[in-house]
Formats: sequence, C-alpha cells, structure tokens
Amino acid sequence: MDFVFSQLAGFGSAFAALVVDPLTYVYLVTSVFLGITFGALPGLTATLAVTILTGFFGNKIPLDYSMIALLGAYVGAIYGGSYPSILLNIPGTAASAATAMDGHPLAKAGRGGEALGLTTTASFIGTLIGTVALLIFVWVLLLISKNIASPEKALLALFGILLSGTLMSEDLVIKGWIAGLIGLAMAMVGMDPLLSEPRYTFGWSYMLSGFQVVPVLMGAFAVPQIIEGMRHVQVGKMVALQGRILPNLAAVRRHMPTITRSGVIGTGVGALPGVGEDVAGWVSYGVGKTVSKDGKNFGKGSLEGLLSSETANNACIGGALIPLLVLGIPGSPPAAALMGAFKINNVIPGPTIDPAIILRVVAIMVLASFTMWILGLFTARVFIKILRIPQTVFLPVVMVLTAIGSFSVGGGINDLYLMLGVGFVAYFMNLMKYPIAPLVIGVILGGLFDETFRRALFLSDGSLGVFVSRPGAAVLLALNVALVAAQIPMIRRPFQRRDKKEA
Amino acid sequence: MTTNDQLLQSEAEDREAQLILRARDFWGALVLLSLSVFFLWRTSFIPLWGENRAGVKGGDWYNSAALVPLGIFSAMLVLSLVLLRISVREGGAEQALTAVGIGWNRAEALRFSTLAVILFFYIAGLVPRVDFILCSGLLITALIYGYHGGKAARMVLAAAVVGVAGLYAMTLNLPRSEWAQHDDDWLVLTLWIALTAWVLWRERGSRLARVIPVIAIFAPTLLVCAMAFGFRQNVPNRGGLIFKQIEYHYYVTLKPFWSGK
Repeated sequence: MDFVFSQLAGFGSAFAALVVDPLTYVYLVTSVFLGITFGALPGLTATLAVTILTGFFGNKIPLDYSMIALLGAYVGAIYGGSYPSILLNIPGTAASAATAMDGHPLAKAGRGGEALGLTTTASFIGTLIGTVALLIFVWVLLLISKNIASPEKALLALFGILLSGTLMSEDLVIKGWIAGLIGLAMAMVGMDPLLSEPRYTFGWSYMLSGFQVVPVLMGAFAVPQIIEGMRHVQVGKMVALQGRILPNLAAVRRHMPTITRSGVIGTGVGALPGVGEDVAGWVSYGVGKTVSKDGKNFGKGSLEGLLSSETANNACIGGALIPLLVLGIPGSPPAAALMGAFKINNVIPGPTIDPAIILRVVAIMVLASFTMWILGLFTARVFIKILRIPQTVFLPVVMVLTAIGSFSVGGGINDLYLMLGVGFVAYFMNLMKYPIAPLVIGVILGGLFDETFRRALFLSDGSLGVFVSRPGAAVLLALNVALVAAQIPMIRRPFQRRDKKEA
Repeated sequence: MTTNDQLLQSEAEDREAQLILRARDFWGALVLLSLSVFFLWRTSFIPLWGENRAGVKGGDWYNSAALVPLGIFSAMLVLSLVLLRISVREGGAEQALTAVGIGWNRAEALRFSTLAVILFFYIAGLVPRVDFILCSGLLITALIYGYHGGKAARMVLAAAVVGVAGLYAMTLNLPRSEWAQHDDDWLVLTLWIALTAWVLWRERGSRLARVIPVIAIFAPTLLVCAMAFGFRQNVPNRGGLIFKQIEYHYYVTLKPFWSGK
C-alpha cells in the first residue's frame, strides 16, 4: 500500500509541476490538435504524426515539452482515426480499422453524433486505463528489470523483433522476420559498439556513425505513405453528422464493463513488444464479439463493437510505453518513434532511466487524454471539415515537413539521402506486403542486441550455456524458440490435425 | 449477379492477387538471396577469429564484430531460400517472367516513376543547392497540380519541371563548393512562376488554382522560419536567394526593432 501511495505522491508532484506551467498548455493543445488532424486525415498515421514531430521537436526544446508534444500527438492521432472510420467508412489509421465496422453503420442510421461522443469518452477512459497500468506496472517491472543482465537483454530484443514480425505480417510470417532482419542489418552499419571495428561503411565517413534513427523513421513511415497517397481518390460520401456529440452519462455508465474490459485488453496487447494499436483494436473487437450479449450485432452498428475497438486502441498507448520505458523495447510503431526522440535527447530508456521521467510521462498522458476529450467533444465539427481535404493537397506539405525535419535533426544533407533511400525500399516492401514496423524495431534494437549478445558471450568466455543457465534467459530463449517453431509446418501439422479432430 | 456469383468472383480475384504476390515474392527472394550472399562476403572482411590488427591481437570469435552480422545474413539467406521455395511451390515462378504475372500496371508505373523522379531531384538536386522556400514551393505546386486529378499528362509535366530544375542544379553545381551559387535559384524561381501561371490559366476559376499558390508560398516559408528562428535549428541552404534576405532582415531590421535598439 505504501508503494501505491508513494507512486501517487510522485505522480501528483509531476502533475502539479506541469499544470502550473502555461507553456504546457500551448504544447498540449497544439500537439493534440495536430495529432487528431493527422489521425483524421486518411493517408496519415499516428506513427507518421509522432515521427514528423520528432523531427521538429525531438531535440530542439527541453525534453519535457518535447514529450508533451510527442505524447499529445500520439494520443490525439490514435483517437482521430475514428472520425473517417465513422463518417466515411475509411479508417484514418490502421488502429481504427475495426471502428469502421460498427461506427459507419451507426452514422448511417443517424446516430453519428452519439457514436462520436461515446468514442471520444471511451478513448479518454481507455487512455487513462493504459496510463494507470503504466504507473503501476512500470515500477514492478523496473524492480524486476534490475536483475536483467546482458543475456536477458539480448534475448528480449530478439523476442521483440520476432514477435513484431510474427504479429504484424499481413501475408507470410517469414516476411515479418525478413523485415526485422533487414532492420537488424541496417543497425550493424558503422563502428561496432565493443571493438570500434568499422562495418559496411564502404569508405564513406558518414556511415561510421551508423544510420541515424530519425531519417530512417521518416523514410520508413513517411515516404511510402506519400508515394502511396499521391493518387486521385474520389473522397467518399460523408455521412452527415446527426445528434448531439456530448455523451449521455447513463449510456457511458451502461457501457462501462465493455470499456473496462477493452481497456485492459488494449493495455495488455500494447505491452507486447512491437505490437501496435491496430492489433489491440482487432483483438478487443474479437473478444467483445465472443463475450458480449450483443455479439451477433457486431458489424451491424453495435455500440459495444465500436467501444471495444476504440477503447482498446487508445489503452494500447499506455501499454506500449511499459516495455519502452522499462526495457528500452518499443511496444508499438509510434513508440518506436518516441524511442527515437528519447535517443536524440540522450535519454536511454531501460532499467537505468531516471524515475522522474516516468512520472512525467504518466502526468503528460493524463493531461493529453483530458485535452483530447475536451477537443473531441467541443471541436469535433472542425475535424469533420478537415476530413474533406484531399490527400493530394496535404501530402506535398508533409513531404516538405519530412525533408526539413529529417535535415534539422542531424543537420546534414546525407540524412536526407538516407531518408529517401529507406523510403523507396520501404515502398517496395509495402508493395510486397512486408510489414515495416519490424524493420524499424530492428534498426532501433539492433545495437542493443549486438552489444548485449556479445557481452554475454564475453563474460562467459564464449559459452553459449549463459543463455540457458540463468532462469530469466532460459525462459526468454524458450519463448524465442517457441515463436519460431510455431511457424515451422512440420511442427504445426500435428497441432492442426488435433484441432481439426476436436472441431 | 447472385451472391454466389459474387463470392466466386471475389475468390477468383483473391487467387489472382495471391499469384501476383507470389510472382513478386519470387523476384524479392532472388534480390534478398543476392544481398545476403554479398553481405556475407563483405562480413568476411571483418576479423572473426581474433586476427592481429595493427600489431594488437584482436578478441576471440565470441566478441568479434563479425559474429552478429554473420548470424543476421545467414538467417536472411535461409529465409530468402524458404521464401523462394514458397513462391515456386505456389506458382509464382511460372508467372514471374510475364508483365501481367507480376501485376504490371502501366498507369501505376507512370505514377510511381514520375513521383520517383520528382522526389529524387528534390532531395538530391534541389534541397542542397537551391533556396528551401523556392524548391519546396516548386515541389508543392508540381505535386498538387500533377497528381490531384490523376491525369497522366499532368504527372509527366510535373516530373519534367522538377526534373529540369534538379538536373540543372546537379549538373552545373555538383560539388559542395558550388552549392552557394544562385543561378539554379533563379531557374527554380522562373520555373515555379511559369508552372503557377500555367496552373492558374488551365484551372482558372477552380478552387485548386486558388489554393495551390497559397500553400506553395506559405507552407515552406512558415516552416523554414519556425525552424530557423523559433527552434534556432539548422535549415537547408541558409545562403539561398530568399532565405538569406529573410535572415538578414530578421537580425538587422526586426530583432533590433523588437528589442528597442
């Protein structure tokens, strides 16, 4: 109990420090507004919002304001995706794909205002659930993580890449793994972290410091999006918004069990390394369909269905920050962009992170979710107007933003070449249905994996036994092996046969 | 068409899309295979068995800088072979040598290649050498006009305009020592005005014609000023034709005026 009180006291003082600073509100309102706009515009994603703002705010303003801007945009963008899902039947972000299933039928039935109001409130509560989980679990895990040494860190990094590759693949799972390996390979460029041996620099001095994270993020997420979006698309017929947006408190209370369940699911999925808000939305939607009394109406305009996905994708944010802050392993693609922002500010997330930063992150999340709720309820009609802007008009501006953001972080023109190169590769990977998230996570975790894997072997004089003799490492190794083995047809077949028999 | 027919048609379309994907996977696997072999060969340049380096004995195999890359590229080699096997087994190899098989779409190819030309010349040719406001204004005008209506002729025109500007800058001011020259700035300004005039004439009366110049002028100007004076960050080509003037008047005219000197 003392632990909970001390946590609450720490959070209270961080919260008060933010609340009394007028600049907090400037960054908060601007970033949440920008985030909702990015989320609402089909073709722009939450990852892109955080990535572009990393280029802008990453290391130019004090870390606190930078975190407000990035977390505000993250929370806003995940929520903003619900607007086009409900009104246009086009998900604004992948995280809101499940929202369209019930949101659009509701809007067509003249309940668009009610759907938007409840979605806004559910997203707010979902973010709070994720944030509370972050406040509690991050400390429990931080205590455990003090015992994590090089073997565990190496296996955790590998697990993050493998899991992200497995769950984010739209087509074959090995494509996700290949994407992760490409990311890992990119992280090998430059001086190696232990012996300062130059690797794959091809005599180019720029390559000695390795690939910078921000240009890679910009290239991987922004450039393919711009290339893909620069096409003439007839904007779908928008359903006129009917009914009041301010939600009925009784309705919120009635749906509280669904909101709570989805919040918990979203947080749990978010805490898995490398798995994003889209997976959280679908998992929660699937669970909701199975357990809800209204399950048969899912997909036909069910409020429960709508709230299942919308609460979970916002709750996922808090969950995704848990592995990021505790282990330095991003829980979702936008969290990978956040990791990039931490890195360029010389903050290394992981067991050695300054506890005050965690408390400030939690306080910012609470303020950001509250700002999102207020903006969502009272300025919804502004965002609906924004929906009408064609992507061929705003994407060229995004390209200029990407170029200047990428240039200013490193201050060199070579970063722009890197961004463009990564962008074209990522576009072709998208075309062949390779997921991009594992690639980015591979780039971010590659250095950690390389260093800790070799350090573990160094400390054990080259004995591979170090990966099984420590209980934590043994469990992680087993998880890695199981993840790979589960995809091998020879191993899968007996299980599939047994499942068929049971069916 | 009955629901059954629709289902059958949708299944056939899915099958076709899957075959196209496998044909692309076939080529993708071959590229990955070649890259894995190339980088495994490059990895052999990094000492693995503790060779002497400048008279100092290197580490053992287990802390060699080659160890992890060796694992990564070996794993990539194995996975690309698995992908190749899957694509061959599912009919990708048979389809891979025909344009239809890999899902070649002439209109899409034109759209992508014109965009690639624009982005390449903007990043590699214009941003380092030309004033950022000018080259970004040209880019925004070209992209919105070229791709808004989805018309091929417009895409080609947009790519040609940015291509000419970029090619000129890269040809005449290639080395870093010549990046500060202003001849390419003037060319970009001329091309931007010409393209804007063309858009205004061709699209007269339309909303697009009114919007393009406003976005093209204000978006890059605001961005570059916010970055340079708000966040005090480095911006591309500080000595550019327009930005040089803005920076001069910011420090010489505006700042003393604000501080009451």
